[in-house]
Amino acid sequence: MTAVPLDTFRAELERLRADAEAALTVAADAAAVEAARIEFLGAKSGRLKAIQKSLSGLAGADKPAGGKQFNDTKNAITACFEAAQARVGAGASGPAASAIDVTLPAERFRLGHLHPITKTIRRVQEIMGRLGFESVDGPEVEDQWHNFEALAIPAEHPARDPLDNFYLAVARDADPLLLRSQTSTVQIRVMENREPPLRIVSLGRVYRPDTADATHYPMFHQVEGLLVEPGTTMAHLKSVLRMFASSFLGGDVKVRFRPSFFPFTEPSVEVDMEWGGRWVEMGGAGMVDPAVLEAVGYDPDVVTGFAFGLGVERIAARRYGVDDIRDFYRNDVRFLRQF
Amino acid sequence: MIISTNWLADYVQVPGTVDDLVERLLMSGLNHESTTAVGDDTAVEIEVTSNRPDCLGHIGVAREAAVLYGRPLHVPDPRPLEGAGEAARSIAVEIRAGEICPCYTARVIRGVKVGPSPKWLVDRLATVGVASVNNVVDVTNYVMLESGQPLHAFDLAKIRGGRIVVRRAGAGEPFVAINHKTYTLSERMCVIADAERPVALAGVMGGADTEIAADTVDVLLESAQFAPLPVRAAARGLVLASASSYRFERGPDPAMVDWASRRAASLILELAGGSLERGVVADGTLASAPAEIRLAADRVGEVLGVDVADARQRQILTALGFVEIRDGGPHEHRWRVPTWRRDCWREIDLVEEIARIEGYDRVPENVAIAARPIELSARERTVRRAAEVLVAAGLCEALTRSVVTEAMAATPSPWGEAVPLVISPPLVRGADRLRRSLLPSLLEARAGNAAVGVDDADLFEIAHVYLAHRGGAAREPVEEPLVAGLVVGGDFTRAKGLCEALLEGLGIAGGEGRLGWRPLEIAPFARGRAAEVLLERPGRDPDRVAVVGEVAGGLGSTGSVSAAEVRLDRLTFAATIERRLVRPSDFPAVQRDLNLVVDEGVPWGEVEAAIRAAAGSVVEDCRLVQVWRDADRLGAGRKSFVVALSFRSSSGTLSGDEAGEIVAGVVAECGRRVNAALRS
Repeated sequence: MTAVPLDTFRAELERLRADAEAALTVAADAAAVEAARIEFLGAKSGRLKAIQKSLSGLAGADKPAGGKQFNDTKNAITACFEAAQARVGAGASGPAASAIDVTLPAERFRLGHLHPITKTIRRVQEIMGRLGFESVDGPEVEDQWHNFEALAIPAEHPARDPLDNFYLAVARDADPLLLRSQTSTVQIRVMENREPPLRIVSLGRVYRPDTADATHYPMFHQVEGLLVEPGTTMAHLKSVLRMFASSFLGGDVKVRFRPSFFPFTEPSVEVDMEWGGRWVEMGGAGMVDPAVLEAVGYDPDVVTGFAFGLGVERIAARRYGVDDIRDFYRNDVRFLRQF
Repeated sequence: MIISTNWLADYVQVPGTVDDLVERLLMSGLNHESTTAVGDDTAVEIEVTSNRPDCLGHIGVAREAAVLYGRPLHVPDPRPLEGAGEAARSIAVEIRAGEICPCYTARVIRGVKVGPSPKWLVDRLATVGVASVNNVVDVTNYVMLESGQPLHAFDLAKIRGGRIVVRRAGAGEPFVAINHKTYTLSERMCVIADAERPVALAGVMGGADTEIAADTVDVLLESAQFAPLPVRAAARGLVLASASSYRFERGPDPAMVDWASRRAASLILELAGGSLERGVVADGTLASAPAEIRLAADRVGEVLGVDVADARQRQILTALGFVEIRDGGPHEHRWRVPTWRRDCWREIDLVEEIARIEGYDRVPENVAIAARPIELSARERTVRRAAEVLVAAGLCEALTRSVVTEAMAATPSPWGEAVPLVISPPLVRGADRLRRSLLPSLLEARAGNAAVGVDDADLFEIAHVYLAHRGGAAREPVEEPLVAGLVVGGDFTRAKGLCEALLEGLGIAGGEGRLGWRPLEIAPFARGRAAEVLLERPGRDPDRVAVVGEVAGGLGSTGSVSAAEVRLDRLTFAATIERRLVRPSDFPAVQRDLNLVVDEGVPWGEVEAAIRAAAGSVVEDCRLVQVWRDADRLGAGRKSFVVALSFRSSSGTLSGDEAGEIVAGVVAECGRRVNAALRS
């Protein structure tokens, strides 16, 4: 009978040790540790026992070295087993003297909460950001040019009626100031200062003299998107809004356009999205009116663009089940802490 | 606008159900409000956008339906039989306010018998929500609801002096309307007057004492055009909106002025008898040169992103009443706009017409958009980081009104002395001042929570405040700082801690300037319990970036309340600074405690500054452990700062001797700067 080569014997020991350590390290409970003990250290058919038998097959000169390595391996696996046993608490029975009532109240720190309107705006920004739209803000006190004229709302337009806006009582003869009635003002400011291509979302507070009720508040929030690039079509508008809807509402959401009228877009549409099995009006949209492009110094024969606006309160109310939008402005922390 | 489906059927035969009609109108621009059964009729309420006055009459809506279903449209051509007498001998018409009334026409019908209307007329008006008055008045309402052109019938016998004068009202001139209320007019308003007094407020409402009554025998039938703005101003100024003013504000079809007059005359003859005098008495002209628009053949495809066949484009426009002028080349068409569509005057308007009839469901929704990399602006990053820190610190974000009451606005602004800007109308009752600080609003929100039993409402808000420029010479007369305000329970140190954490979070503490805390006296903070935070940056004047303090009176709640307001707009620069790693030292730290005795008036900040100046960059931590006072042991008017110092070098282990030298330097510097004595 040929002697077992020492290298082979050593390699077997190494593998055994690696296997045992791996098994004992991941063993999650007492049963798993015990199963590993039987596999590796079992007195009758453990793998260590099996290797011990081949120790006698080593050449005489190799036996001292082989024996030493066998003992090292056995000690290492035993130590590993004991560590695992301690870790899973096997062997102990009954509660430890230092056991705690884990249902006792925790030492808590208080978490703050973002307002649900902010959360909704952030979500829109995040989705539009992935589509390449950059967030911008601007002043809330505006002049006639940015709030009306550049948006193709002429002096005789009903939207400029003093009763329908919050005008400032400051002397500024021909150009009274007002609290902006839409965030399109920011789009005008950006277009005046930058050249296309342009993708922005403007967002923030806007103001219209509505009597406060469950669905109206004289101060509210808008998010408006604007894209100006050569060759832009309504198909781009619809595709972007569908991607937005799918991301915001989840799933393969349908978008539908209904014709509408806004002074600063042509064609103009209302945007419905399918939400909870029915069509929900999400906002207005359209192709940027050539008059608006001209007002900011763009050439409508060279660039075209689309714009859309979403009412944040309406979306947030629906998203969070808030049936009275005045609740958003009551600042009751019992409300705020739910978001 | 409410539509009677029975009435609509006079002009177009719609093959589908009412629901189908409603759906098609909805998808082509007439939003659906409601559908209600009224007897054997159906009332469909639709929303008509302000650019479509043509749909403020049944004929206009019928035209839309005819186009959508590809059915013919039947519009009657009324030819009332003229009898004896010349209208021009019965009445004279003179326009003296042509800018408000470009055109006025009158017909005269004599010998009518005023009485109830027939059932069909009563029913149709009832369906659309109009109460029957008498046969003559009902006809004028009916024709308005048919054509969109408002009409008015006067009792000719009550018109004095045989003349109609369209003129501006006199200042303070009284007028009694059909509703029997008296209105005081202004020179900006236009009236229809007889030789002596106003008999109607132009385009808005008729007068009480010339209205058609049971004993009326002769009728003067007015059909005219009035400019939108003066009609709106009068209706709003007097709070006297009517179906007539609603239509004139939007501009009815000028071609309907005569049509509606003929139509009403026919119906009055039919329902109330009498005889129509010859001719129509008119003044002014109808300005309605029809626009012509060129439409390039491929323009529709360029806008919609989907092609509509040339033949289909022409079919749609023709059905809508546009007339093709056959001199365009092969690549474009020229179209004459119908009189009722003055909202269309550019190529893009024709594109929209084709698109809305063709249907937007044809526009593809799966077009690829090129990727474009973007980055959050420094301002946006600053706002987000500020909110993140304050939320982590346990505060809830509030949203309070930008406009506050006069009492709230009286709290001074930490950001300027200009008086609050006033708006009209108020945002809500009593609130008409743009706020100059968030703190009054946040304190009010905290008090509101306390009122419902929540005493620990810790709130923050990030918003604009509004400051008028003084002098007014600046082009932009309003400055809008972006600030973060916070209101919490606890004393000054809590608000200061939040403020420091916020500044650290924004990257301010990292050596990009130095923060200095100075006492400040300003409402709403208690005297001696507040500070301003100054940011000093190389080459710049120190900037006030925050105010922090305990709120005077503590809001009447149990514990104290503190607040802070931070100028985020002055801190956005930090968001643009590139951070570079400073490798933590692997060498051990050395701790030393010092007990420094100083005069009562010496602030801790000066002691700390002396320590840091003396020890330099090896100071890892300089912590005030305790302040104690003991007149016996320290002397009167003296106090002791117990300071725990930690030194660590990045280049080697500090020996005991080296640490001793640093401490000696610190003590010497503290002695020199603030007369501190080491108490061992």
